[in-house]
Amino acid sequence: MAVAEMIKSIAQAPEKEYYLPGHRTCAGCGPALAYRLIAKAAGKNTIFIGPTGCMYVANTSYACGPWAVPWTHAQITNGGAVGSGIEAAFKMMIKKGKIQDEFPNIIVMAGDGGAIDIGLQAASAMMYRGHDVLFVMYDNESYANTGIQTSPATPYGATTMFTPAGPEIPEAKKFFPKDPMALFCGGGHPEVKYGATASVSYPIDLMNKVRKGLAYEGPAFLHVQCPCPKGWTFPADRTVELGKLAVEVGMWFLYELENGVKKFSYTPKKLKPVEEYLQTQGRFSHLQPEHIAKLQAWVNAKAQNLGLEVPLPPVR
Amino acid sequence: MPIKKRGTGLTAVADAWQLADIDVTASYPIRPYTAVMAEVAKRIANGQMKCEMVHGEGEHAQFSIAHGASMAGARATTGSSGVGVTYAFEVYSPIAGGRCPIQALVGDRTLDPPGDFGSEHTDCLTLRDNGWIYGWAENAQESLDNSLMYFRIGEDPDIMLPQIVAMDGYFVTHIAQEYEMPDQEQVDKFLPPFRPQFRLDVNNPVIMGPQIEPEMGPPLEWDRNVVMDRVKAKIAAVTEEFGKVFGRKYAPFVEEYMTEDADMVFLLQGAHAITCRSAIKYLREAGYKVGMCRLRWFRPFPDMALKQILPKFKVVGVIDTNTSYGASGGGGVLLVETRAAVSELANKPMIQGFTSGLGGETITHEEFFKMAEMMRETLRAGRIIQDSTWVNFNDYVEGASEVKAAQQEVAQTKE
Repeated sequence: MAVAEMIKSIAQAPEKEYYLPGHRTCAGCGPALAYRLIAKAAGKNTIFIGPTGCMYVANTSYACGPWAVPWTHAQITNGGAVGSGIEAAFKMMIKKGKIQDEFPNIIVMAGDGGAIDIGLQAASAMMYRGHDVLFVMYDNESYANTGIQTSPATPYGATTMFTPAGPEIPEAKKFFPKDPMALFCGGGHPEVKYGATASVSYPIDLMNKVRKGLAYEGPAFLHVQCPCPKGWTFPADRTVELGKLAVEVGMWFLYELENGVKKFSYTPKKLKPVEEYLQTQGRFSHLQPEHIAKLQAWVNAKAQNLGLEVPLPPVR
Repeated sequence: MPIKKRGTGLTAVADAWQLADIDVTASYPIRPYTAVMAEVAKRIANGQMKCEMVHGEGEHAQFSIAHGASMAGARATTGSSGVGVTYAFEVYSPIAGGRCPIQALVGDRTLDPPGDFGSEHTDCLTLRDNGWIYGWAENAQESLDNSLMYFRIGEDPDIMLPQIVAMDGYFVTHIAQEYEMPDQEQVDKFLPPFRPQFRLDVNNPVIMGPQIEPEMGPPLEWDRNVVMDRVKAKIAAVTEEFGKVFGRKYAPFVEEYMTEDADMVFLLQGAHAITCRSAIKYLREAGYKVGMCRLRWFRPFPDMALKQILPKFKVVGVIDTNTSYGASGGGGVLLVETRAAVSELANKPMIQGFTSGLGGETITHEEFFKMAEMMRETLRAGRIIQDSTWVNFNDYVEGASEVKAAQQEVAQTKE
């Protein structure tokens, strides 16, 4: 494993950008911020694979794209497979001396649907086969480029176009989301030595996790929470604030799983009640106290499962 | 020196892939094409081939892996059969539209239901509108030769299109036969290394497959349309050059057999051509002036060649080893395409369809005789009696009367 060069502060972060202005993502777009930070951390020797999703549609609408490194589209179904093929090709062509390239950082930037729903099979197989690819799930908790429909990452109780609230279904979305870290890094994919969650609201942490994932030979997984003003219904200038609040209430946990060892990257002193987070977003505005209690119970259970030893809010 | 070998269509293509020094191949098991991957795996394990073999988790992944490898600049292959071919459906157009000249081997298999290993061309024909170039080989030698020619044509900077080396399951993929494996020097002379103008290269960053606005799409589609047309000239040139380098001469688009004085011909593609030639010998002895036209390419469809060839005949019996339920004429895909190719010619022949050889059944002599008899009825009537006939299901004659009578006579003498 190569040693990742860590970034200690924003002042020390590389100035050079590889995800540039000139796209048409929404104001306050969380995924765009993630792209910028990930590209910055990865640097010039990087190839991005972008399965269909917001970061394909909003970035490349006019037959061009904002990347200063090679980028290719993949179907929403096959980011992991296309990434596998690119990796295998570089490995063999370099081995045969057909090209003189340095082996590149290969990063799949999949949305939540492209990672753990329709793209799950390809992602899982890529990780099983041990391809040297960093698989990033930029999670804005819905199918957003099609106008906000539910995905397996959409939280319980959120309204989306496919999960409106109504008298028959007062809580809107009924299911709790899948846990991608457990899916990919819970031991079911033995080649994955490094997995982490991150958030656009903790940029240094995010960039360092990108570098650590890339430094590992073999597959690595990064689950990045990216607040989405349009999908979550909050003002566009509050993206970073909401990402932080998610961590404060336990709707997001920042941790790494490195060679099977869990390490929290940031732990609040105590979790705030989840209601504080729910109040900030239109998608939760319909929730009744019993739904909020159900969500609080889920947050508390998750915190306990993860081993977060901080005081938890009561479930009312 | 070229080596005389005994093998199948699959080992023959493995030979071609070895000679072409492929960099990446993507596997997933489904009969009957599977054996080509087993063969490549063996050659990688024993050091004969230097290639990354990625075990895809399904056909959709196989084609996606090969797509990725091709964008990175590798010569990449994959393959499938039957419902495996259709499972990958989403990615055929992106690969062709992305102008990634990967090569796939399709060993035909009947689509479900029912579960049937036998050869039917329907699997591969469903891809006909996706911008891949392909045709059927009739034996192991032609499979190998097609593989090399397809790489050469598909990777040409003027073309850049993915190709399918199609062959009948079992008949070509599994029957052991003699063929010649060319030597490396010949192949290196014929097939240059794959060096795409654009690849994923951090020193020359490009964006591949961006989204576009509606008005930006048609020019790209026009380009795909134009290149399909351009392929035809390339096929003619490369087929001729192949003959010069390797000494095996193929008709570029349509092989004609005993057509010189023929008033009627069978038109087909793939391995059934072998039985067809032998049936024609008997039919000729019985006085039928019949010949055969075998398509070497399906996409691009050899319409220009057919426009020249078919007016020589009075009746064309198109044999479809595929189904296209509800298609114009009630037969298969070849009937529709063949009729369309000559529809505007004043002197076009009468074209009737036969559906035969489904489910991996051989088309027997008896069935060819029946078809010939029905074509003769058409000839006599001077009009199409039945647009398309499923042989043995709705034949409109008893069978090849004269041939049958001769056979019965022989049988009686034996008694």
